[in-house]
Amino acid sequence: MSARNWIRSRFCGVVRRGHRAKELDRELESHLELEAEEQQESGLPAEEARYAARRAFGNTALVKEDVRAIWSLVWLERFGQDVKYGSRLLRKNPGFAAVAILTLALGIGANTAIFSAIDALMLRPLPFTAADQLVRIYSIQKGVFNTFANPDGPSALDVRDFAQRSRSFQKMVAYDTWRKNVSFGESAGQPEQMAVGLVPAAYFEILDIRPIIGRLFSEDENQEGKNYVAAISAQLWRNRFDGDPSVLGRKIRINGEAYTIVAVMPDVIPAWVEPGRDSEIWTPFPYPPDMWSESGRGERGYAVLARLKPGVSVEQAHADLSVIAAALAAEHPVDQGVGVAVKRLADSRVGALRPMLYLLMGAVSLILLIACVNLANLLIARNSARQRELAMRAALGAGRGGLVGQLLAETLLLSLLGGVVGFAGAEIGLRALARMHPENLPQLGSLGIDWRVLTFTLLVSLVTSLLFGLAPAFMGTRLNLVDALKQGGRSGTPGGSSQRVRSLLVITEMAMCLMLLVGASLLVRSIMRLEGQNLGIRQDHLLRGRIYLPPVRYTNPGVRTRFCNDFATRVRALPGVIEATVTTVYPPNNGWTQMLVIPGHPVTRIQDVPSAQFGIVDQDFLRTLGIPLIRGRDFADSDGATSPPVALISEKFKRRYFGTEDPIGRKIHIGPPQSLQIAAEDNVTDDVDVTIIGVIGDFKNAGLALAPQPQITVLYSQHPLVNGGFKDIVIRTAMEPHRMESEIREQLHELDSDMPLADVRTIDEIVEAQTGGQRFTTVLLALFAVAGLVLAVVGIYGVVSYLVTQRRQEMAVRIALGASRGNVLWLVLKQGLEMAAIGAGIGLFGAWAGQKLTSGLLFGISPVDPATFAGGAAFLLAVAAIACAIPGARVMRIDPAEALRQD
Amino acid sequence: MTPKKTPNRTELLQGTLDMLILRTLLFGPAHGHQIAKHIQRTTDDVLQVEHGSLYPALHRMERKGWIVAKWEIARERNREFKYYRLTPAGRKQLLREESRWRQLAAAVATVMWPAPGDQA
Repeated sequence: MSARNWIRSRFCGVVRRGHRAKELDRELESHLELEAEEQQESGLPAEEARYAARRAFGNTALVKEDVRAIWSLVWLERFGQDVKYGSRLLRKNPGFAAVAILTLALGIGANTAIFSAIDALMLRPLPFTAADQLVRIYSIQKGVFNTFANPDGPSALDVRDFAQRSRSFQKMVAYDTWRKNVSFGESAGQPEQMAVGLVPAAYFEILDIRPIIGRLFSEDENQEGKNYVAAISAQLWRNRFDGDPSVLGRKIRINGEAYTIVAVMPDVIPAWVEPGRDSEIWTPFPYPPDMWSESGRGERGYAVLARLKPGVSVEQAHADLSVIAAALAAEHPVDQGVGVAVKRLADSRVGALRPMLYLLMGAVSLILLIACVNLANLLIARNSARQRELAMRAALGAGRGGLVGQLLAETLLLSLLGGVVGFAGAEIGLRALARMHPENLPQLGSLGIDWRVLTFTLLVSLVTSLLFGLAPAFMGTRLNLVDALKQGGRSGTPGGSSQRVRSLLVITEMAMCLMLLVGASLLVRSIMRLEGQNLGIRQDHLLRGRIYLPPVRYTNPGVRTRFCNDFATRVRALPGVIEATVTTVYPPNNGWTQMLVIPGHPVTRIQDVPSAQFGIVDQDFLRTLGIPLIRGRDFADSDGATSPPVALISEKFKRRYFGTEDPIGRKIHIGPPQSLQIAAEDNVTDDVDVTIIGVIGDFKNAGLALAPQPQITVLYSQHPLVNGGFKDIVIRTAMEPHRMESEIREQLHELDSDMPLADVRTIDEIVEAQTGGQRFTTVLLALFAVAGLVLAVVGIYGVVSYLVTQRRQEMAVRIALGASRGNVLWLVLKQGLEMAAIGAGIGLFGAWAGQKLTSGLLFGISPVDPATFAGGAAFLLAVAAIACAIPGARVMRIDPAEALRQD
Repeated sequence: MTPKKTPNRTELLQGTLDMLILRTLLFGPAHGHQIAKHIQRTTDDVLQVEHGSLYPALHRMERKGWIVAKWEIARERNREFKYYRLTPAGRKQLLREESRWRQLAAAVATVMWPAPGDQA
C-alpha cells in the first residue's frame, strides 16, 4: 500500500469516522440477525434467540472500538482528547491562561518582529536575477575597508582598467548620482530636486532590468552633447504623468536643459541599493572629454557595480582585481597605496544595521528566555497544585507517558495561542515600526511578514513548549501516589526540589532582565548625550532649505552671488523671518575640507598641509545661526567682490595654527601650496589670499559624534573659484519654522520657476535624522527592557506570593510567638531580595560580558559605565522589593488565631 | 485511552486468522457471518472464530488493501449484506502466508515427530 493511500485511509478514517461507525453498526446488526435466525431455526423462541445471538457474539462495543482503532490514528485522537481536556482546564482557569498566553505572546511577538527585520535585511533574496553574482567594487586606502562609513569609489580610469584586465566579470559599470533640479513642464506640477542617476545602459543590463516601455540608452548617448535622453521610474510615471503611455518622447528639464524621455523603468531597485539617493530618473553618463586622460586617474568616488561570471566567487574576483590594483599602483604614482575591495551587493542591504540587529536579536532572545522561564515557573506551580488530580489519574491507571503527554498538550496549546497573539502583536508592532522607520534606514521599508517569518514563529512556539513544558511536566508527574493522595484537603505542597528550581528560574530571569536594563539605559544615555550636545549655535527656530543653481542658467560666479543675495534679501523681508543666510556650512555637518597655506607652517609633503573645514557664506551667517563672535569683527556689507577677501576662523582653528598669537589681521592662503603643484580644480579647491578679521565660537562641523574641527569661513562673493551651484539657505523664524515654508518657496519661484527648494527641514530635524538609526535601536531596546522587567516582576511576584501561601502557618506561629509584623515582612522580603540580588550580580556580569554588542553603538559613554550598571541594579532591586512587598503585606495582615485554626 | 486487548482472545489465532479468512474468500465473496460459519464448519467446529477478532481482522485487511467490501443484496434473501472479496494483493498475501504456514508446520513437525533416521 502506498504511503499516500495509507495517509488517505487513515485520515479519512478520522474525518469520516461517523459514517464508518454507522456502517459498522449495520454490518454487526446484520450478523446478529443471521445468528438469531439460525438460533430460531434450531427451535428457540424469537426473543431468546436474539439474546443467544448476542451472547454468542460477545461484546459489540469492544468490537466497535477495536475496529475504530484500526481506521484511525489512535495517538492523534488521544492527543486531540488531551488538547480538548487542556483547553477545558484553561477555560476554567482564565487567569492562569491569560498570564501564560500574554507572557508567551510578548516573547514570541518580539522575536517575530525582530526576525522579520532580519528576514527583510539578510535572508530574503534580492529582487534581481542571479543576485549572488552582483557585486560592488570599492577603492580602499592603505588596505582598510571602512565598512560603509565612507567607502571610496574607484576612478573611471581604474574601472576601465579593471574591466579590461580582469577575467572574473561579465560586465562592470561606473556610474554616479547627482542632486539635480527637475521640472516636468507646466501640466505636471512643481519642480523638484531629485537624485538623478548618471548611468550607462550597462547599469540596467547588469541588474537585468528591462524598460516597461521604451529602450535603454545607446553607447552613443554616453557622449557629451548626445546625452539628452532620460529614463524615468514607473512610480514617477504614475505620479507625474498618470501612467500615460505617450510619455515617451516628452521633454523634462533637468538643471535647465531639456531631456527626452525614452524609457519607463520598473520599480524594482530597492532604496537601499543607493542609500539616500535612490533615483527615479536616469540619464546617460556623459563622459567629459578629459575623462579618459591620465589626469583623471586620481578622481575617485564613482559607484561601481559589476556582475561576476557564473561560478566565480567573490574571493576569486577580489584576488583577480587585487593583482590589477597592485599593477596600477606600480604604474601610476597617484594610485599608490590604493587597493580594491569587492563586496556582495546583498551585503550592502543590511549595511550599518548589522550591529543594531545583533543587539536587538540578543535582546529579544533574552525576552523569550524570560518569558519561557516565567512559563516554566507558572507550570511548575500549577502542576504541584494539581498533584492530587495527577495522582488520582495515575491511581486510575494512567501511565506516566500519558500524564506527561497531557501536560505537554496543555503547554503546546498555551504556546500556540501565545504564538498567535504574539504574531498579531508583531504585525501591529511592525506597522508602527514602519511608520517610525528613519529615513537613513531605507532597508526597513521592506519589513513585512512572509512564510519565513510564519515558520519561524511556529517553530519558536513549538520549541518553547517542548523545552519549557517538558521539565515541569516530568517534575509534576514524578509522583508518590500514597503521599500525594494522603495529603487530603491540603493542596499539594511543593517538593523542596521544585522550589529550588523555581528560585533558580527567578534568578535567571533577574539576571537577563538586568542585562536588558543596562543595555537599554546605556543606549538611552548615549542618545541623550548625542542629541543634547551644544551645537555651538542657537538651535531653535532654524529652517534649512537647499537650492542648486545649474550652470546652464547661472553661468558665472557673479550671477550666482547676485541670485543668492536676491533670494536671501527677499526671504529676510518676509514677515516672520528674523534672519536668513545663504551658506554651505551649518551644524552638525560640513564635509568640505580645504587645504591652506599658513605662514609659520611650512610643508614639504602633501599629508602635512594644514587643512580646515571650509564654508562659503554671506554676511548674515553669524547673526542668523547665533554663533558668538569672540574677537575682531563680523563680515560687513562693505566686504564685497571688489574689496580685499576676509575670513572668520574658529577658536579651534586659532588654537591649532596660531597658538597664543593674535590672528587678527594675519594673512593666510586658501588653497594648496604652489610648491606641491596640486591643480586647482573648479568646485574643489580655492586659490585666494585672505585676511583674518575675526575669531568665532566653535560649532559642530564634523558630525554629531566628533568634536568641532578647525573651521574657516569666507564670503562666496569674494571666492569665485569655489562659488558653485549648491547652496543652502538657513532662516531663523519668529514662529514655527515650517509654517514659513510655502512663503519661502513662493519667493524662490518668483526668482526662478524652474528652481526647487529641496529638503526643507529644521536643524532639530536634521539632527534627529542623523540619530535616527540610534534612536530606532534605543526605542526598541527600551521597549524590550520594559517588557523584560514586567515579565521578571511577574515572575518574582508569583514565586514569592506562592511561598507566602505555603508558609502561612509558619508565619502565623511566628506571630503568635511574638515576632513583630516587621519581622515577618522582612522574612518574605529577604527571600525575594536574595533571589533578585543574586540575579542582579549575574546580570551585571552578563552585561559586562556583552559590552561588545553595545560598544559600537554608544557615544560619550563607556559600555561598562559604572553609574549605569549600579543604577540598573539598584532599580531592579527596588522593583523586586516592591513586587515582594505586595505578598509580604498579606503576611502582615495574618490573624494568627484564624490561620492556625484552619488546619 | 484505548482499552488493552485481552491477550487470549485475539492471540489465539493471531496470524492464522488472516490466512483462513483469505482462503475462505478464495471461493468467492462472502459476508462476515458466512466467513465465520465456513471456517467453523470446515474444521468441524474445532476452530471457533470469535467475532471480537473477526471484524477487526476484516477491517484491518480492508485497510491494508487485501480485501474490498461492498454492500450487496444477498441472492437467497432480500437483504443487504457487506460482502468482502479478495483483491489481487490479497491473493498474493494468501500465497505468502500459506508458504510461511507450511514452513512453520513442517518445522514444528520435525521437532515433534522426528524421522527415525534423524536421531543420533
